[in-house]
Amino acid sequence: MMPEAGHYALVLALVLALVQAVVPIIGARRRDPALMNVAASTASAQFMFALISFGALTASHMVSDFSVANVFENSHSLKPMLYKITGVWGNHEGSMMLWVFILALFGALVAVFGGNLPATLRANVLAAQAWIAAAFYLFILTTSNPFLRIANPPVEGRDLNPVLQDIGLALHPPLLYLGYVGFSISFSFAVAALIEGRIDAAWARWVRPWTLVAWIFLTLGIAMGSYWAYYELGWGGWWFWDPVENASLMPWLSGTALLHSALVMEKRNALKIWTILLAILTFSLSLLGTFLVRSGVLTSVHAFATDPARGVFILAILIFFIGGGFALYAWRAGSLKQGGLFAPVSREGALVLNNLLLTTACATVFVGTLYPLALEALAADKISVGAPFFNLTFGPLFVPLLIAVPFGPLLAWKRGDLLGASQRLIAAGLLALAGVALVMAWSWGGPALAPFGVGLAIFVIVGAVSDLVERCGLIRKPALALKRARGLPASTWGTAFAHAGLGLTLLGIVCETTWSDERIATMRAGDQTMVGGYSVRLDGFAQRHGPNYREVTAQFAVARNGAAIGVMEPSKRNFVTRGSATTEAALMTRGFSQLYISLGDLSADGTIAVRLYHKPLVLLIWLGTVVMVFGGGLSLMDRRLRVGAPRPARSAKALQPAE
Amino acid sequence: MTLWFILALMTVAAVFAVLWPLGRAPGAPREGSETAIYKDQLGEIERDLAAGLIGAGEAEAARTEVSRRLLAAADASPVAAAAPQRGLRRAVAVAALIGLPFVSGALYLKLGTPGLPAFPLAERAQAPAATESLDRLVMQVEARLEKNPNDGRGWEVLAPVLMRLGRYPDAIKALRNSIATNGPTATRHADLGEAILMGANGVVTAEAKAEFEHALALDADEIKARYFLGLAAEQDGRTREAAGIWRAMLAKAPDDAPWRPLLQRALARVEGVAAPSEEQIAAAGASDAERGEKVRGMVERLATRLRQDGSDVDGWLRLVRAYMVMGDRDKALASVKDARAALTQDAGRLRQLNEGLKGLGIDG
Amino acid sequence: MTRKQRRLVLIGSALAVLAVAVALVLNALRDSIVFFTTPTDVVEKSIQPGKRFRLGGLVQPGTLVKGGNLAVKFEITDGKSNVKVAYQGILPDLFREGQGVVSEGVLDAGGVFKADTVLAKHDENYMPKEVADALKKQGHWKDDYAAKPEAAGGAAAATSAQGGKP
Repeated sequence: MMPEAGHYALVLALVLALVQAVVPIIGARRRDPALMNVAASTASAQFMFALISFGALTASHMVSDFSVANVFENSHSLKPMLYKITGVWGNHEGSMMLWVFILALFGALVAVFGGNLPATLRANVLAAQAWIAAAFYLFILTTSNPFLRIANPPVEGRDLNPVLQDIGLALHPPLLYLGYVGFSISFSFAVAALIEGRIDAAWARWVRPWTLVAWIFLTLGIAMGSYWAYYELGWGGWWFWDPVENASLMPWLSGTALLHSALVMEKRNALKIWTILLAILTFSLSLLGTFLVRSGVLTSVHAFATDPARGVFILAILIFFIGGGFALYAWRAGSLKQGGLFAPVSREGALVLNNLLLTTACATVFVGTLYPLALEALAADKISVGAPFFNLTFGPLFVPLLIAVPFGPLLAWKRGDLLGASQRLIAAGLLALAGVALVMAWSWGGPALAPFGVGLAIFVIVGAVSDLVERCGLIRKPALALKRARGLPASTWGTAFAHAGLGLTLLGIVCETTWSDERIATMRAGDQTMVGGYSVRLDGFAQRHGPNYREVTAQFAVARNGAAIGVMEPSKRNFVTRGSATTEAALMTRGFSQLYISLGDLSADGTIAVRLYHKPLVLLIWLGTVVMVFGGGLSLMDRRLRVGAPRPARSAKALQPAE
Repeated sequence: MTLWFILALMTVAAVFAVLWPLGRAPGAPREGSETAIYKDQLGEIERDLAAGLIGAGEAEAARTEVSRRLLAAADASPVAAAAPQRGLRRAVAVAALIGLPFVSGALYLKLGTPGLPAFPLAERAQAPAATESLDRLVMQVEARLEKNPNDGRGWEVLAPVLMRLGRYPDAIKALRNSIATNGPTATRHADLGEAILMGANGVVTAEAKAEFEHALALDADEIKARYFLGLAAEQDGRTREAAGIWRAMLAKAPDDAPWRPLLQRALARVEGVAAPSEEQIAAAGASDAERGEKVRGMVERLATRLRQDGSDVDGWLRLVRAYMVMGDRDKALASVKDARAALTQDAGRLRQLNEGLKGLGIDG
Repeated sequence: MTRKQRRLVLIGSALAVLAVAVALVLNALRDSIVFFTTPTDVVEKSIQPGKRFRLGGLVQPGTLVKGGNLAVKFEITDGKSNVKVAYQGILPDLFREGQGVVSEGVLDAGGVFKADTVLAKHDENYMPKEVADALKKQGHWKDDYAAKPEAAGGAAAATSAQGGKP
C-alpha cells in the first residue's frame, strides 16, 4: 500500500504542478488576486505530495520492500540502516526523486515566505517554478519511475556495493542538489521579471539571499565530493577535472558571478539585464550538470544511468528551459530599464571585472568539458581533455581575478579611488612580497611559479583582513575598534571571510601541488623509507575481520628526526561474499599537512607495494571552502536592506566612512 | 480498500488546495510593494547614520538616491487595482473539481499497480512455511554468511547446494571461501575445479585444470580430479592420454564403485571413436593438423548420426558446442536450425534444447 | 567620462578578456589533449613513438607479468590486436585480467606502450565508455569475450564436454 500511495502522490504532484504552471500566470495578467493566490496554495500542496512520495520511497527502502523494483535493484536487507536510507538517492530514480523533492521544497519556501513580494511577481515566480517541476515529474513518471513493482518479489535485493557505503558519498548528492536546485529560484525570478517586463527593488532583495543559499550548499557539496575522492580512491588526488566534477564547477563559477552581480543590483540598481542573464545561465548550467550526470552521456565515476530514452528526455528538458529562457531573454530584455551609472574604477566596476573573469573561466571549463563530446559526435574521434588543458586556460584567467579580489571591497560605490585602495593594501602587498622572497629562498631552484602562488594567496588573505582592520579603525583608533567591529554589518564580515577562505584554498592548492612528496615502494616488514622528512617503518601485518570483510592491515611506525610520533594502519579489505576489494588509506594529520599511506598488492614473498605521500597544507584546500561557506552564512544572516551610497568625493578623507 | 480510501483522501486534499484560494473572501491581499521597500531603506539610512556606520555626507547622497527611486516607483506603480474575474475563477474551480481527479486517476491507473500489496522484509519473515523454498533457505544461509564470512562450515554446506541450483559463479566463490577458511583439501580443490568447468559450459578451462592439478598434488588418488583431467585431455584432442588415465582409474577402482559405469562409457566414447591403443605409436607423433583432422572427423560422424536420428537433444547440444569451440559459428548456427527443425514435433525436447542453447550463449 | 565612453571601456575590457580566453583555449587544445586509441588503431595506423595517447581495451588474460620494483607488463587487447604495455607503479584495485582498462603514455621504439597512468575506475561494473564502444565495434563484448581465449587457447576442439560427476 505504501509504495502505491507514494506513486499516486507523485502523480498528484504532477497534476498540481500543471495547475500551478498555468492558473497564476493568467491571474497575473488579469490581475485577479484569487487566481494569483492559487500559486501559493498549490505550491505548498505540491510540496506536501512530493514529501509523501519521497517519504514512501524512503520507507520502502528502510523496510526492504523488494516488491518495489527500485528497492530490489539498489538495496539489500543486510545493509546498515543508514545506508538503506542514503541508498534512496544512490541510484538514478531515487536521485531524481530527491531533485524534485528539493525543487518542491524551494517552491514551498517562496510560497510561505513570499508574503512581502508583489502579488504578480510571486505568482509568476511560482508558475515558472512549476514549469520546471512539471517537466521533472513527467520525466520521473515516464522514464525513471521508482515505484514500478515486481509481482513476485524476490527474497533478496541486489546491491550491497561496499564502495558506495560511505558517509561522504551519501551526503554529497543532497548537498549538490540543494545547490543546483536552489539556483532554480533565481531562474524563476528572472523568468518572472522578463514576463512582467520590469525588475523592482523587491526582486533584487529576494534573489541575492536565495542565490547565496544555493551557493553555500553547492560549495559544500563540491568540497565534500573532493574530500571523498581524496581519502577513498586511494591515490591522493582531490580534483581530477573529470566531466562530472566540471559539471558542478560550472554552476558554481557562474553562481559566484551571479552572487556578486546581484549585489550590484541590490545596492545600486545597476547591471539588471546582466544579472537576469546570469540567473538564466546559472540554472542552465545546473540543468546541464544534471543532464551530463544523469543521461549517461559521459560514463564516468558517477555512471549509473545509461538509458538512451532518459538521455533524450533530459536533453529535451534542457533545450526547452535553456532555449526558452534565452528566447524570453532576447525578446524581453530590451523592455527592462537600465539604471545606475558608475565609473569603471568603482566597486561596481570591480564586480563587473569579477563577473567577466568568472564567466570567462566558466566558459573555458565548458569548452573543455563539452569539446570531447562534440568531437565524438561529429568526427567520431575520441579525445580526453585533462588537467593540462585546464591548467593552461582556467589558471591564467583566475590569477587576475585573485589579484583583483582584495581591491573590490576597498573601492567605493559609483566612483572609487584606486590609489587609495592600493595604499590600504600596502601591508598586504608587502607581506605577499616577503612571502614570495622567503619561499624563493627556501626552495631555490624549485618550481618558478610556486612562490608567486604563495604570494598571491597571502595577498588575498591579508587583503581580506586589512579590509576589516581598516573598517574597524584598529590602527587609527584602537580604543574604538571593538565597538566599531561589533557595529560592522554582518555582510562585511561575510565578505572578508569568504575572500580569506578563497586565499586559504589557493594556498592549500599551491602547496599541495608543488611540494607534495610521493614515494612508491615495495616494502617488507622492517623496511624503512623517507617521505616528506618523515621516516616510515613497516612493522608488520595483521589480519582482521570486520562485519562482512577480511582485511590485511599494515602497521607503519612514523618518526620525525628520530622521535616516534605515531602509527599508521592502512588496510586492504576483501568483501568475501561479493569478492571485491577496497583500499583504505591511512591519514595522519600534522597541523594542516597530512601523511597519506595506501597499500597495493601483497606479493607471495612477503613484500607489499606501498604508496606514501606527504601533502603539505593539503587540509587548507577544504578548510578554505569551509571558511568561504561560513562567510556566506554570515552574509546571509545580515537581514539589513542594502543601499550602496556613493562616497562624496570631497569628504572622502575627512569622514572615513565604513561603507 | 484502505488504499483507495487514502488515494481518495489525497485527491480531496489536492482539489482543496486549488479551490481554497478561489473561494476566499477577497480581503486586502498581503502584498509587498516597491514603495514600501524604499521607505524601509530610507529608515535604514537614518539608523546607520545614528550608529555612526556612515558619514553625514554619504547618508545625504544615499537619501537623495533612494528618494529619487521612491518617486519613480510611486509614479510607475500600477494603479490598476485588483480585477476579480468571476468567470475565470469558476472555470478554474470546475476544472479542478472534475479535471484534477480525472487526470490524476487516469494517469495513476495507467502507471500504478494498485492491486499489489507492499511486501516488506518483516512480513516476509513471518510468511507461512509453504512459501519456504530451497531458494529461500539458501538465501538465509547466504545472509548469515554475509555477516559472518568466516564460518567455514557454512560455506562447505552451501557450495554443493549452489552447484545443484546451477549458480556456478556463486558456487565458485563459496568454494574459494571454504578453501580460504577451512584450508585446502584435495576434495575442495576438485569441487572448485568442477564448479569452474560447469560455469564454462563443460569446457575444462586452464583455471579449472589448475584446480584439478592442485587437488592431485594434495592427493594423487582424488577420483573427481583424475576423471576431469582425463576429460581435459580428451578436449585437447589427446584421446590416447585420456583413455590411459581412465583405464588406470578403472583398474584401481573397486568393483562396486558407483562411478565405474561413467568411466566405462567415457572410455568407450574415446576408444570407439578414435580407435586408440598402445600399438598405434604413430599417433603419438601425430601433428596438430592430423589431430584437428581427427576431431573434425568425430564431429562429422556425430552430425551424420543426428541427421538420421534427430531426437537426441544432448547430441545436438554437443554438436553445437563442438562447432562453437572450433570457432565455426556459422556451422553452429546452421546446426541449431537443423536441431530446431528435427525437434519441432516435440515441445518438451525443444524447450530443453533452447535452454541448453541459452547455456551456450546462443539465444533463440 | 560620458556614458558612452564608460560603455566603451566596459565592452573593450570584456572583449579583451574574451580574446585572451579564446587564445588560451586554442593554444591548450593544440597542446594538451590526448587521443583515445584502441590496440587495432595502434597496429594499423602506426602511431609515432613519443606521441602521447590513451590506450584502452581489455587486459588479455594470462599476460600479466610482475617484475621487481613494481614493474608490471601486460597486454591490452580489443580482440583483434594486442599491444604490450609496460608500467611501473601500483595497479588500481579493480585492475584484473579480462577487465577493461585505460592507460595513458607513449609508445617506445620497440612498439611497447610505456604507460604512466593506468585507470580502472571504482565502480565494479564500470567499463570505460571508450573501451565499451571500441569492443562493440570489434564485435567483442565482455560476456562472449570471457569464453574466447579459452577457445583459442585450447588449440584443437573438443567433441564432447560432459560435466557429469564421476
